[in-house]
Amino acid sequence: MFLVWLLAVPLAGAIVTLIAPNAAAKGIAAITSILGLIGYAGLLFIDRAGVNWSWIPAWGVRFHLVGDGLSLFLLGLAAVMFAAAIFASDQGAGRSYYFWMLLLEFSVVGLFSAVDLFVFYVFWEVLLIPVFFLLTGWSGEKGKKAAMKWLVMNLVGSFFMLVGIVALAVIHHQDGGAFTFEINKLSGMVLGPAVGSWLFFAFLVAFAIKAPLWPLHGWMPDAYGESPAPVTAVISGVLSKAGIYGMLRVMIPIFMPQFREYQMPLLIVAAIGLIYGAASALRQRDMKMVTAYGSLSHMSMMALGVFSLTAVGLLGTTFYMVAHGLMIGALFLVLGMLENRTGRRSLDDMAGLNHSAPRLAAYFLFFVLGALGLPGLPGFAGEYMIIQGLVTSHVVFAVIAGFVLVVAAWYMLRVFQAVMQGPAPTTGIKDLVAGQVAWLVPLAGLVILIGVWPAGITSHAVPSLYQAMHFAAAKGGVR
Amino acid sequence: MAFALWPEYTIVLGIFATMLAIMIGSRERTIVGYWLALAALVASAIVTTVDWSSRVLPVSLFHQGVTVDAFSLVVDGLVLLAAVGALLIGWNDRRYGTDFPILLLVALLGMMVLGMANNFIVLFLGIELLSLPLYILAASHSPGVSGEAGLKYLLLGAFSSGILLFGLALLYGSSGTMVFTQLDPATMILPLAGAGLALTVVGLVFKLGIVPFHMWVPDVYEGSPMPVTTYMAFGTKVGAAAILLRFLFFGFSLSVDWWGPAIGYLAVLTMIVGNLLALAQKDLKRLLAYSGIANAGYVLVGIASHNMSGARALLFYLLVYGLAILAAFAILTFVAGERDSVSLNDLTGLVYRSPWLAAFLTIAMLSLAGIPLTGGFVGKFYLLQAAIYAGQPGLAIGLVVGAMVGLAAYVRPLQRAFAKPSGSESIEPIRWPIAGAIVLIVCVAGTIGLGVYPGPVVHIVNHSAAFYWLK
Repeated sequence: MFLVWLLAVPLAGAIVTLIAPNAAAKGIAAITSILGLIGYAGLLFIDRAGVNWSWIPAWGVRFHLVGDGLSLFLLGLAAVMFAAAIFASDQGAGRSYYFWMLLLEFSVVGLFSAVDLFVFYVFWEVLLIPVFFLLTGWSGEKGKKAAMKWLVMNLVGSFFMLVGIVALAVIHHQDGGAFTFEINKLSGMVLGPAVGSWLFFAFLVAFAIKAPLWPLHGWMPDAYGESPAPVTAVISGVLSKAGIYGMLRVMIPIFMPQFREYQMPLLIVAAIGLIYGAASALRQRDMKMVTAYGSLSHMSMMALGVFSLTAVGLLGTTFYMVAHGLMIGALFLVLGMLENRTGRRSLDDMAGLNHSAPRLAAYFLFFVLGALGLPGLPGFAGEYMIIQGLVTSHVVFAVIAGFVLVVAAWYMLRVFQAVMQGPAPTTGIKDLVAGQVAWLVPLAGLVILIGVWPAGITSHAVPSLYQAMHFAAAKGGVR
Repeated sequence: MAFALWPEYTIVLGIFATMLAIMIGSRERTIVGYWLALAALVASAIVTTVDWSSRVLPVSLFHQGVTVDAFSLVVDGLVLLAAVGALLIGWNDRRYGTDFPILLLVALLGMMVLGMANNFIVLFLGIELLSLPLYILAASHSPGVSGEAGLKYLLLGAFSSGILLFGLALLYGSSGTMVFTQLDPATMILPLAGAGLALTVVGLVFKLGIVPFHMWVPDVYEGSPMPVTTYMAFGTKVGAAAILLRFLFFGFSLSVDWWGPAIGYLAVLTMIVGNLLALAQKDLKRLLAYSGIANAGYVLVGIASHNMSGARALLFYLLVYGLAILAAFAILTFVAGERDSVSLNDLTGLVYRSPWLAAFLTIAMLSLAGIPLTGGFVGKFYLLQAAIYAGQPGLAIGLVVGAMVGLAAYVRPLQRAFAKPSGSESIEPIRWPIAGAIVLIVCVAGTIGLGVYPGPVVHIVNHSAAFYWLK
């Protein structure tokens, strides 16, 4: 029942925010996010049971949510990142800002726990709307354009996925099965070559746009660049994982033969994305855009893990999603603080800020090191497993990935150097205040915890992953 | 079994009662006419519900002129909803005098007849009964724009009626019968029957507002008074969709090859063109007119699928479309106040003038766009199922491409509504007339309810469109 709590609390909080006075909105949102964290603790430590209610009997749609190893830690990521983002948000943002934030949390929690494709799609698409309004109302000058791009690009993907979902259910029904949208029932199907490929790409494109993966990342620069830091943090930290999660949750069980067939082109495209993201990050002079393109490169790394089609590669991706979400989200929040204090984003305009803000610099360095994959911090474990998977499937991509990791260190450290090191400027900036330290400390603690103890996550993920791959194994298998 | 026609008899009684009340009462006391019309509508809705829940077998009356079955009763329910909505939205606006409730009821009778017609004569009767009052209503406001709208509607409507009549005559000539269920494509004289079928379908899709026969729709909607536009946008479409389904499914089910592909192409064309044109509109009535065109295209998907899911999805979709469009027009009426048109600019900063109105507008627009947790999504999902069951992926792709363009069109008013006002707009709070507020709240609640828990209504439509000869 804690899963229902986790889902219901943000929705209830959103409704309360909408009717509460503007001044109370942030307080209500903060309390809601803490209640969400408590609910998550309950889910993790007390009762992981999901729900399975009949929703639309005529179509066999069931409101089926689970908190298994694939989703458990992504739910945690969502609960933590939304709490951090809400704490980091502007007091004066107004009640509708917090309304959309909490509605977004609601849809993300639903998305990460649904195992019925209808329910999955409902949350998948509901999620677009809060982000659209957050980009429209609380962003820079180009916010409206960014919002439209986000909406249109994501819709292109998700509407084709909708056709794919209905087609899967109808084909399953016409083959003599029940009319159902449950992933584990649909996973036993054998699809014809043409239909299978069409449906495969319908799903793949939707997930790749959401992640985003090169070359479908067109919405990303504007959205990341224009949105306020807390929104960027939840988009890059949590929402981007939805795309990769969808591949693991939906596509691996259903489309394994198609994955095998198209493995080589997919690996090549992901590798290009990996290099493209890193190269673009090197070229950028705007600290937020460096991180954004770095994140694009990391997403391609996760895609490589999926496309390796090995157990350890998939496991690495599962782990890396959580690790990357925490670190990149935190990094964007720290960048937001810097932007608030200096009013600038270009690397050329800043230098030597560590003299006036040593604590901020320390946290900044910590999350930068995490993002570049320093051993001991969680990024490393994820990247290691993905590369191990690539070595067993196609070693050349392991070499490319290893090379890009070096580049990652370069572009991330370049940001830190430019902003923090160098001669002290004439006017310093304010260091962290107690309220900010209060949520940065647990965030950093969490990063260290999963960095030194990745087994805490992987041991839970393995059974679910094997279950997902077991369905796949029946149709051609995973090595 | 004349009991079967009680919903219609109730409306006829209502028409006479309203007329009498107006003849006896003074001109100023028009409110009596409104109350009588409302009473007739409610009574008819009750009778319809009772009849629906007790009906087991279809009944044929007037020498197979009409068929009363669960399908026709659901259509009755839908057009009654449209009439109640339009009446309440126009409740506080006395500019139309007492003609409005009477003509509304007469047109309603036409729509109900269309829902159960099984005969060429009844079909034509229904179309004319529906159209003539609407010609008057479209022009009822003032001699200016409204008069132009009425004249345009009259001329083009008469033209389409002519085409329809010609088509029906050719069909009768080639088959020798007027009853849908007695038409046998195998014995028809071919070129004659083909031409007759084509002309009849053109006449009917003209009323539905399908591309390329849609040119009149935006002008007429823009020029007509707000409640009349509401009524046309919902009620007329229900009637036209119902008769098109009856005519094609009952009369030409065996020769689906003749019309299936054509209807499919029209559907795809309409969904995409309608939404694209909606994207370019600055006037909200015109935007909703193009939305109505696009949504008629979605409805055609149900017919082009030519299976049971298609007929069911059509009924469900008409309901969710109607709820959303009634809510949208109620909001427009509030924002417009004394005027008769609302531009996109009028919405700027709506959320600061009236947050609830902005929230309701969001729900209505997102339902029209087909976003989950609103009824519109479930409706589109149902249509997709029908298209894919029919083995027509092209229809499904057309539907989602249309929906994509549509969403871009529907979020534009929302972006305005949530934008910060620049200062030049009116900032006075918006008045909520009580009758319109009831429509708005019921429709928004229904939209959300159908999105969150559509099960019972899906069950109802599944039982109402059980045409055994279809897959």
